Amino acid sequence: MKGFKPSAPFLLLLPAFIVLAAVVVVPLLLSLYSSFTPFRLTRPETFFVFVGFRNYLSILANSDFWWAFGRTVLLLTIALNLEMLLGLGLAMLVEKATRGQRILRTLMMFPMMFSPILVGFQFKFMFNDNIGLVNNALQSLGITRDAIPWLIEGHLAFIAISVAEIWSSTAIFAILILAGLLAMPKEPIEAARVDGCTPWQTFRYVTWPFVMPFAYIAMTIRSLDVARAYDIVKIMTDGGPAGRTELLWTLVARTAYSDGRMGMANAMAYFSILLSIAFTVYFFNKLAAARTQIGAEW
Amino acid sequence: MDENSSARLKRRLLGIVHRVGLFLAMLTICLPGLWIVLSSLRPTVEIMAKPPVWIPQEISFDAYIAMFSGIGKGGIPVIEYFRNSLIISVTSTIIAVAIGMAGGYAFARYRFRGKSSVFLGLMLTRTVPGIALSLPLFFLYVRLGIIDTHFGLILAYVALNVPFTIWLIDGFFRQVPKDLAEAAQIDGCTRWQAFWQVEFPLAGPGIASAAIFAFLTCWNEFALASQLTRSVSAKTLPVGLLDYTAEFTIDWRGMCALAVVMIIPALTLTYIVQKHLVGGLTSGAVKG
Repeated sequence: MKGFKPSAPFLLLLPAFIVLAAVVVVPLLLSLYSSFTPFRLTRPETFFVFVGFRNYLSILANSDFWWAFGRTVLLLTIALNLEMLLGLGLAMLVEKATRGQRILRTLMMFPMMFSPILVGFQFKFMFNDNIGLVNNALQSLGITRDAIPWLIEGHLAFIAISVAEIWSSTAIFAILILAGLLAMPKEPIEAARVDGCTPWQTFRYVTWPFVMPFAYIAMTIRSLDVARAYDIVKIMTDGGPAGRTELLWTLVARTAYSDGRMGMANAMAYFSILLSIAFTVYFFNKLAAARTQIGAEW
Repeated sequence: MDENSSARLKRRLLGIVHRVGLFLAMLTICLPGLWIVLSSLRPTVEIMAKPPVWIPQEISFDAYIAMFSGIGKGGIPVIEYFRNSLIISVTSTIIAVAIGMAGGYAFARYRFRGKSSVFLGLMLTRTVPGIALSLPLFFLYVRLGIIDTHFGLILAYVALNVPFTIWLIDGFFRQVPKDLAEAAQIDGCTRWQAFWQVEFPLAGPGIASAAIFAFLTCWNEFALASQLTRSVSAKTLPVGLLDYTAEFTIDWRGMCALAVVMIIPALTLTYIVQKHLVGGLTSGAVKG
């Protein structure tokens, strides 16, 4: 008699499970444990001191943390919504173009090829108050006489970061929504027009429901790496001026590597992990719902 | 004015608005990149000039020559960084695609219990922010002695890429009709042979684009690399970019040149795969 015989899909997925367990799951369990200790890099013996929820409690009372948390949520809300709108607009512009669509599509993907660190650097260069393209242009056009301190003043720095973030990620939305628009059958639109729909109604009740799953795919992909913003912020302002653009991720990095307070940083990291997971699960469910809706209508 | 000509006028106006909109959008998309390229070719004096010099007076490749002529002359060891980036990205891509092919095939061709939750679970491992993951990895790698090595970063990147590679490859296998492999099996192929002779060649271009996507993720990754590498022997290009920034000064021209060097492989590769990439991500969006 043969022993335990695992099923084919299990065997096929096994390598993936092993790698992910080794590099993601086990380290995360370790960091979960260390979030309950006062672990400092400089004092290894603190790794075995158990303090319960003390790290979490002190985070909850830490106003810097809540500011960073709020700022992260704000940035994500602004960025994702604008990216979605701009991506939709861009996709529709390109879809309407009669000539040179292939070239336009390629140009549209341009920002996707930039690594976030490059995006950060590029916008740091452009928003530089002294030699940056933005200020130079504004001054040459006579819109402003003084240099605008883009990355030096807190609110302006936040705007600059949002611009960089939106520039780099609108492409993902635009491309996937465009794929949806191109895959869409033409008959329902014609039927709607014959039945006397206004362009807005046609868009709202025919085009949009069809394109929605594609938008949710883009959202899901984006939510998989929202933390890319870390690279951008790290290089553009490094959380400054005076912590005014500190996001969860830069705060975690600072607490861990500059202050060496690993235990505390891990506790914070868990908040950011939960935030990411919440985003992904939410959009994943939306995606599934949108798929079934399409399945029922077409 | 009769209805006909007013309709025609409206149409032409809309056409113009559309073109202007398109032009402005494309300008916004391309301008930052072009500005970097231009700046890398200009002398530093011109970049720093006040009032700004809009039209370049002289174009030179000095920044590139300095960069590739080694430590001392160019300031940073770009060639070593380039080599590290290449070794790490290529190796981890090959491994990730092999694992991803097995996993993607399992999702596309088999029914098993908890399929969608396993899929979601795989994706969730990808949501862990790089910086959050770097804390325990840093600690573990120090203990295991693989901090600041190629191996350590390759391992991390394989794990980073596997979920997304599975997603993409799953999509590509779904596009290959099941009947083809079944027909091959009826004709006497084993499942293994049917896979390699029928399904693999058909999904091939898609798998290649998944590979390129994985490569780009490694090539561009910063958060993990910046914490898990320390020295010239393992630092990658994105981390090397920071070498151009000192406490208060930044060598803009050098940075621009390095940025161009980083972007060219990415640009070429993305151009090659763009068609398949979208197909892979959206397959199954309409027919779930």
